[in-house]
Amino acid sequence: MARSEHIIQASGLNLRIDQTTLLESASLNLRSGQKLAIVGPNGAGKTTLIRCLLGLIRPDSGSIMLDGSPHTTMGRAQLARRMSYVPQQLPQRIAHTASEFIAMSRYAYGTDGNHSNDDPLHAAQQAMELTGVEHLKNQPLCTMSGGERQRVSIAAAIAQQSPVMILDEPSAHLDPKQRDIIHKLLMEICRENNTALIVITHDLNWASSDFERIIGMKNGRTLVDTTADAFICEETLATVFDAHWLTHPHPASGRPMILPHTSSKP
Amino acid sequence: MTGQSKAMILASLTGLAIATALFMPWLGVHIPDWNVISRPSGQDIDAILFWQIRLPRVLLAMLAGAGLSLGGVVFQALFRNPLASPFTLGVASGASLGATIAIVSGIHVSLLGLSTTSLAALAGASLSITLVYGITRASGKLSPTTMLLGGVAISFFFSSLILLTQYLSDAGSSFRVLRWLMGDISQASIDSVLQLVPFIGSGILVVWSLHRELNLLSITDDIAASRGVHVERSRMILFFAVSLMVAGIVTVCGPIGFIGIMAPHICRLFIGANHRYLIPASILFGASFLTLCDTVARTITASAEVPVGIITAILGGPFFLWLLLGKGRTLH
Repeated sequence: MARSEHIIQASGLNLRIDQTTLLESASLNLRSGQKLAIVGPNGAGKTTLIRCLLGLIRPDSGSIMLDGSPHTTMGRAQLARRMSYVPQQLPQRIAHTASEFIAMSRYAYGTDGNHSNDDPLHAAQQAMELTGVEHLKNQPLCTMSGGERQRVSIAAAIAQQSPVMILDEPSAHLDPKQRDIIHKLLMEICRENNTALIVITHDLNWASSDFERIIGMKNGRTLVDTTADAFICEETLATVFDAHWLTHPHPASGRPMILPHTSSKP
Repeated sequence: MTGQSKAMILASLTGLAIATALFMPWLGVHIPDWNVISRPSGQDIDAILFWQIRLPRVLLAMLAGAGLSLGGVVFQALFRNPLASPFTLGVASGASLGATIAIVSGIHVSLLGLSTTSLAALAGASLSITLVYGITRASGKLSPTTMLLGGVAISFFFSSLILLTQYLSDAGSSFRVLRWLMGDISQASIDSVLQLVPFIGSGILVVWSLHRELNLLSITDDIAASRGVHVERSRMILFFAVSLMVAGIVTVCGPIGFIGIMAPHICRLFIGANHRYLIPASILFGASFLTLCDTVARTITASAEVPVGIITAILGGPFFLWLLLGKGRTLH
């Protein structure tokens, strides 16, 4: 039963829209509790790949298996109980309060009668404690800062209690301190709940320091799929990004880091 | 805002709606004698005024107000657009075109107790609902933007046809069309109330059964889908339920404006964006608000009645701005 140890097993995914190839035989496997980063240049197909996994778009061909069952046989609520989703940014106009918004992500547990005893507010409370947003409980999302709203968004995904959490550049628009808070938070959740993470990011140093595996995408293909150590080297980076960067071990952790380009100042 | 204070607001709104239903039939240029209450089939002026004119009119205003306000809540959430109203997708202009043609052509047909104008309005509303649905289907993706733009285009197209029909008709019919377009509930009868009940009742039931979906759909399609909502199916059910409900209202009362776009905002300022509370609040507030406006409309001048569609915006506009500015101060 080598297959069943993968909670997600996607292979040979192809998708073309009009004349553009978005995915070309892309594949991705994920084990329970694993932390996987997807990196690559803009337009490489990273978001398209996770949208396929989440069932938001359907690939032209290829197969996606979740816990050994085909994706296509599952209903929306079943998918939601397996995967939660954190977008890059929530819209700013949301007038729901944090606790309302988080409780809403219990939707998949209240539709089929099997979970009629579900208490969405209890799950919301727990998720808020875990993410440190309890003080924002009764505040509408539209009045929060970007960092606060992103923590609420993650809390909502936690409340969904799915074994996999999929995030699309969760810290791209945050300041460095908020970014660190979000990164630390995600690693804690992963450890405490044994949640598997799939994260799209352009922050290669974060990918190197916190993730076990990195997938490098380019032109719709999952070009490289390897350990963080093997990925962050000049050769692989050149293959995926067509750019030449120096790498150097982090002075404290020893993880390989990418150095900024040499200064052009005189 | 806690759940408790929301329950308090809902209780107050319920009280307001009950008070409206109990007191408004008595108010007017002539106040009927209290003892008519025991004579529902009395043939004297007071009994007829109370039981056959005022009471049906108050009930009709409550039904129409509840439905228009609820329709606005749903369309604003569905299209994630604060300017959406139950008329945005062309139901009202379809109905108006039908009514205009019926009035101008002078044809007389009657079916199931509905007048020619009502039948034509219902046909026009059905036509616009079908067109919006067809356009959305044909575009391939059932996106809210496609629906919104398709509906607005149809709405403008029908409005031009109404103007054209009016331009080509004589002054008398043109005036009657204009009068219909203002929205009016002065022709209320027990029959018109009973005709409207199934439209409003089914609309409310469907919308309430999908209140959790509405919350998620008001965020983004991706969030709703990833939480487990069948986005396109829910959107279509809500579109049809609300469109039919609004078609019923417009058929009986004409396109009463303002309430469908502003009542939802007023309720959101009171009670927040959670549809679990917003749906009952908008039903209760819409019912009370339109009845209040209609009471003003029929008492403000002793000699003639002002169409209620004019009063809603005249009363509601300043009220909404007052709330908006008041809330604005407390937020900052």
